[in-house]
Amino acid sequence: MRALRRVPAVACLLLIASAALTRADATVRPPKFHYELRTLDNGLTVILCEDRSTPIVHSQLWYHVGSKDEREGRSGFAHLFEHMMFKGSKNLGLEEHTSLVASIGGRSNAYTTEDATVFWNTVPSHYLPMVLWMEADRMATLRVDEDRFKSEREVVKEERRMRVDNQPYGRLQEHIYAQAFRVHPYRTPTIGSMGDLEAATIGDVRDFYETYYVPGNATLVIVGDFDTASALDLVQKYFGPVPKAARPLARNIPREPPQTAERRVTLYEDWPLPVVVVAHHITYDGHPDSYPLHIAAKVLSDGQSSRIHRRLVYQDRLALAAFGQSNLIEHPNLFYTVAIVQPGQTPEAAARALISELDRIRNEPIADRELQRAKNQFARDYIIGRESIQQKAAHLAHAFVMHNGDVTTADGEFDIFQGITKEDVQRVARTYFTPESRLVLTILPRADAAPATRQPEGR
Amino acid sequence: MRRSLATVTAVLAVLACAVAAAGGQQSDRWKAWPSSRMPGPTAAREVTFPPYEIRTLANGLRVIVVVHHEQPAVSMRMIIGAGAAQDPAGKAGLATLMASLLDQGTATRTSEEIADTIDFVGGALGTGAGTDLSYVNVLVLKDSFGLALDLMSDVVRRPAFAPEEIERQRQQVLSALQVNAQDPDYVAGVVIDRLIYGFHPYGIPSNGTPESVAALTREDLVGFHDRWFAPNNAILAIVGDLTPEEAFAGAEKTFGAWPRRDLPVTSFPDPPEPTRRVVLIDRPGAVQTEIRVGNLGIPRRHRDYDAFNLAVRVLGGEGANRLQRVLRSERSLTYGASADVQSLKQAGGIVAETDTRSEATGEALRIVMDEFSRLQRDPVSELELGDAKAYMTGSFPLTIETPDAIAMQVLNVLFYDLDVKTLQTYRERVNRITSDDIQRVARAYLRPGRLSIVLVGDAATVLPQLARAGVSDVERIPIDEVDLSSATLRRPRRAVAPEP
Repeated sequence: MRALRRVPAVACLLLIASAALTRADATVRPPKFHYELRTLDNGLTVILCEDRSTPIVHSQLWYHVGSKDEREGRSGFAHLFEHMMFKGSKNLGLEEHTSLVASIGGRSNAYTTEDATVFWNTVPSHYLPMVLWMEADRMATLRVDEDRFKSEREVVKEERRMRVDNQPYGRLQEHIYAQAFRVHPYRTPTIGSMGDLEAATIGDVRDFYETYYVPGNATLVIVGDFDTASALDLVQKYFGPVPKAARPLARNIPREPPQTAERRVTLYEDWPLPVVVVAHHITYDGHPDSYPLHIAAKVLSDGQSSRIHRRLVYQDRLALAAFGQSNLIEHPNLFYTVAIVQPGQTPEAAARALISELDRIRNEPIADRELQRAKNQFARDYIIGRESIQQKAAHLAHAFVMHNGDVTTADGEFDIFQGITKEDVQRVARTYFTPESRLVLTILPRADAAPATRQPEGR
Repeated sequence: MRRSLATVTAVLAVLACAVAAAGGQQSDRWKAWPSSRMPGPTAAREVTFPPYEIRTLANGLRVIVVVHHEQPAVSMRMIIGAGAAQDPAGKAGLATLMASLLDQGTATRTSEEIADTIDFVGGALGTGAGTDLSYVNVLVLKDSFGLALDLMSDVVRRPAFAPEEIERQRQQVLSALQVNAQDPDYVAGVVIDRLIYGFHPYGIPSNGTPESVAALTREDLVGFHDRWFAPNNAILAIVGDLTPEEAFAGAEKTFGAWPRRDLPVTSFPDPPEPTRRVVLIDRPGAVQTEIRVGNLGIPRRHRDYDAFNLAVRVLGGEGANRLQRVLRSERSLTYGASADVQSLKQAGGIVAETDTRSEATGEALRIVMDEFSRLQRDPVSELELGDAKAYMTGSFPLTIETPDAIAMQVLNVLFYDLDVKTLQTYRERVNRITSDDIQRVARAYLRPGRLSIVLVGDAATVLPQLARAGVSDVERIPIDEVDLSSATLRRPRRAVAPEP
């Protein structure tokens, strides 16, 4: 980025005041973003951030639709639709988007999450007009074709087999979410089930496109080597004529009712070593409680000195691997801890150890040094997570799309994190790490199952 | 061998450009949208390989510095020129276990103290071993540069190899092997390496086998470290928000007194001549088959490397990729297909990989084999070659975006004893390659009649298809009986029913 502004050391007094043990110079902090934000008449949001250091440019187009927007019986559809966006539009042939970007030495791809679908291109900067023209073309005029739909569905099924069905532990996340959620669509995996993929129709494609792939539901972020005024002209030229949505976007995503009693479930899989999961329902990304939850996750599971690694992997040698993370996304989700159990150790012992570490966060304040460590690790994540133009674009887009249009959170969260106290961490642990909100999931190798219990329990 | 874990992620090219007329059911949105042609590029900016500095300390340690002031961080990588390929016979897994112990206690710090130190400053410390090298990486915010140097020196030069830590890491490696043995991607990778490289060290799995890892001793670990960890066998890259003077002064102060030592002279057996061999690892109930097809290639430092690398890209690399086009775009048989050159110090190979539903294994395998033949038989068209070259040359600015990416390219050049000038001449070298060059190296190094083939999948479903695909002499091995130290790849048979 041009003209990086260093924040004076005074700004960090907040941090120093909050910790007894502080690094001598907590002034190391990431530079802030400099960006322009515009909204076109058709509702498309545009965020531009110049970074002239290398002659390349990255575009990242977020559609605010993900697997949680899928209706019952259509799991996997948002991701399947993402694939269809490469199958041609009025001025682009089958897979031509990808081949054109490759032919100029660029890279392009897309991904789908629970909450959003993201299309990105990184190209030598003099090809920015081409990238914008291509993205606008498929936003305006996706080709909806039965044969292309059916063949691409087979590719997505192979993707599911590769990532999920044919891998040891590939279904772990599916099991966690299927057991933890009852109503909210977070209970189904983004990749979808084979049955639901098979049930999808060309009519679903058309409907999804008309509903969600509209400028008012999209955010375009461009980061890299360009002049902001000229880039805005290009955006207006190519995206300006894309018509507004024909109908308003109504979202009717069911809320997950609170879990009122602990759930314990045992399943069986053909995996080499047992797995234990201890999960709790938590809040959403951007909620004030989300920041102390992130800190709790670092204390529990960032680095070899973190509590879960030290206890389960290093000291007690219960686990081949053990970790915890707070999955803070758009709607309330989970904090989950996982241990892959060492041979000779029991899943029960691993579960007890995970629960006792979660209890400890709730029952006693973390150490000053742990708090400071977590904050320093945050500073590192911020800094090394913003090296490439793709990373920068992702931060800006995420802030805008997931935080209700508040792009300032892309920078502002740094200070929020540095201001978190031990008391904040204990408070949120008490709020969320309760026995009633707990799921204890044990997945045993199928060979260990007594013949009568081979069928999965639970749902 | 190094495993490239990332299966192809890009949705790749189909050259068809024709746009069919809009169907009748298309929306008003379609009708109102103008037909238009792709806009051309604006003026291109000149781009050259970014600045870097290399100095050699008196003890032989080579130091690369790349300065970059945008983010207040410093990253350091040290590579030591010995890895799994230097494991003595029968001691497979030694370099891997040794490297995993580097940060688990030193003469002056316990394992827990090392973790506390690096975690507290928000840094990251990683150690490991590859095929030809071992490494220690440290990342810190810029104010911890001194601490990072001190820690790196400690773990590189003074690892304790405490018996308790050895047992802890040994258990980790053994459990990981147990998990890997059921992972079709891992199994396919180690078996294809074993077929291509035989009992050359590149054919032996770098993580070892349960038996070899169980037998490793503290003396083995100390011996490996003593033999190979020396400044004249190491390269250090320092990258980030500091001046070259600070970086070189730090390297000199920290590593200047590290004594040079004579390195062992080792000789490697030649890898075997390619022999056609088809191994089917039986994983009953598998819904997909992991497919690997390859043969021996050339080492990294070889006059044909650039042409061979481009040839393999046409077959299955980023920006071109015939395999992806046929297997995915045309036939919907897979999510990803690719071919890679493995080009290492002593030897190299070419391996194509894909995965497909069990029922389509024969068809997908046939296509992969045919593409090896076609690349050798038919000249690559100017159009296809031009696109592949355009991708490679056009993507140059994308490969120099981050300081770490720049430093890695310089490290590679030094590690493989290449001329640093090649960093500047990359695009010219690519552009010089002709269709004749491609066909010449394809004829010289591809052996379509002698391919090594590994399939990991459900044998009951796969076997009948192989006969129909014209693939015979299949060795079927149950996944639980794979033994890479055996010439038959199989543990001695227990008393079970005979093979069909």
